[in-house]
Amino acid sequence: MRRRSSLPVTFLVPTLAILLVLSMVPTLYAIVIALQNRELSMTGYSWVWFSNFADLFLDRRFLNAVWVSVKWEIVTVVATMAVAIGLGVLMFEAASPRLRNFYCLLFIIPVLLPRVSAAFVWKFAYHPLYGIATYPYRLVTGGLIFDPLSKPATALFAVASVDVWQWGLFFAVIVLKLLETLPPQPIEAARLDHAKRWQIHAYVTLPMLKAPLISLMFVKMIESLRSFDLIYVMTRGGPGVATETLDMYAFSQGFIESGKVSYASAMAVLMMIATVITFTMLWKRVQA
Amino acid sequence: MKLYPIRLGRLIAKVILALAGFLAVFPLLWTALNALKNNVDIITRVPKVIFTPTLANIGYILGRDSVLTGLYNSVVACGSAVLIGVALGLPAAYAVARYPNRFAGDIQFFVLSLRFLPPVAVAIPLMVIWLQVGLYDTLPALIVTYSLLTISVIMWLAIPAFQGVPKEIEEAAFVDGYGAYSVFWRIALPVAARSLAGAIAFSFVLVWNEFLIALMLSSSNAKTLPIVASELSQQGMNVPWGILNASVVLLSLPPLLFLGILSGFLNSVFRQKKS
Repeated sequence: MRRRSSLPVTFLVPTLAILLVLSMVPTLYAIVIALQNRELSMTGYSWVWFSNFADLFLDRRFLNAVWVSVKWEIVTVVATMAVAIGLGVLMFEAASPRLRNFYCLLFIIPVLLPRVSAAFVWKFAYHPLYGIATYPYRLVTGGLIFDPLSKPATALFAVASVDVWQWGLFFAVIVLKLLETLPPQPIEAARLDHAKRWQIHAYVTLPMLKAPLISLMFVKMIESLRSFDLIYVMTRGGPGVATETLDMYAFSQGFIESGKVSYASAMAVLMMIATVITFTMLWKRVQA
Repeated sequence: MKLYPIRLGRLIAKVILALAGFLAVFPLLWTALNALKNNVDIITRVPKVIFTPTLANIGYILGRDSVLTGLYNSVVACGSAVLIGVALGLPAAYAVARYPNRFAGDIQFFVLSLRFLPPVAVAIPLMVIWLQVGLYDTLPALIVTYSLLTISVIMWLAIPAFQGVPKEIEEAAFVDGYGAYSVFWRIALPVAARSLAGAIAFSFVLVWNEFLIALMLSSSNAKTLPIVASELSQQGMNVPWGILNASVVLLSLPPLLFLGILSGFLNSVFRQKKS
């Protein structure tokens, strides 16, 4: 009965067609724009083929943005996973079921906030004179000023801390739920062998959860690509170019500074190619 | 004697957890508190906990046309995009979950891969396209663009939700003479409703929080609330901290309304895994 129904066709084809159109049109058009020399202020344009791409590789600011993006990706992914696993294990070990539910609810709150809100909340908190997060430092040092967002050495980490605040706490909830799905027998067995608590997790539970933890890391890697809102609100890529990631630079080239849409698009195309290739390879690996 | 280090370890663990719980909500509560303060009570070197509250900031925010337009735009753009996502995403997810064919894996990967696309790479060409067809800075342009996000996310999350519906129920309905479509409408949808609500809520939060695309696709008429809120901070040198805090609170409330649904959704996902 199921086989002969027209349902799969009528349910799938329109949706997939719309998704294909909505995704392929901008993608292909991004490539077309990248091969031209469009600017926002001018109506005419001509084909310049690969000269935008050639220019990019001589652009020191672009190379800096690549480096900042790589740093951002590594810092946020590693810190998120560390926080998530740490807090997840702690909840599993030291919290009663009722307390676990309570913490889970609290830890989901930051990730639900719009990135713009989270960025503002922490921008106030990091304010050198009136911020709540810098207050302990002022108190201890007797009023010295610490301005994490305007120092090149700390700005990236200060912004990254907001990302970890949102995602690390949320992932801690998922790590706890994953630990709860494990069968209790291996843990009991390890306990009978006088394994210490941390040993049980390092050698038994976490290795058992290797596959879902890797998937989780994969999700975080994708979400870390969306750093724009945080950086735009908190530092605008500054101080100097210390927190200027690729999407921030593409945006400022395309819109704020010069309106070089084609140049920005070339950057976006490179990002797209790099991420699609990387993530397709990773995804196939994770699935295999 | 031997118990002692374990007890100490537990105590430290509890302290760390309590600290993390505090860190999770305190910055937000502080922002909400600041929204009720006069500027003089915010600009103090020692944070003030006791102050005379004022509703002036909230009143100012709710009385501004730009904020109300932003709110209206956000509600209309996100609401419509979610509705389109539901109308197109749920049936497609059901078809993938219940009528597996050899493309099912590829379809799922395609839907997920839409999430890999850098938002800038979508926003720049779309801006040029919408400019050319004369829809730049309008709500329809934003709704169509957001639909790409909502359809793919709802579909991605609804596939496991439909797979979680016991097959026996659907088989029984077929035996009772239901057609394929009425099984979807009258059996699968209601049974999976709770998980589906989670998926839909998630997609709403995602587009409500969206910033980069809205920033690039609007200049004045179609600005959404996040854009309006981010612009409030650029009003000259004299930063109106209280007003800014109030706008952050307004912007953050809708996603937080879904806290209950979403945490229930998380629980049901993992309960499925366990069984």
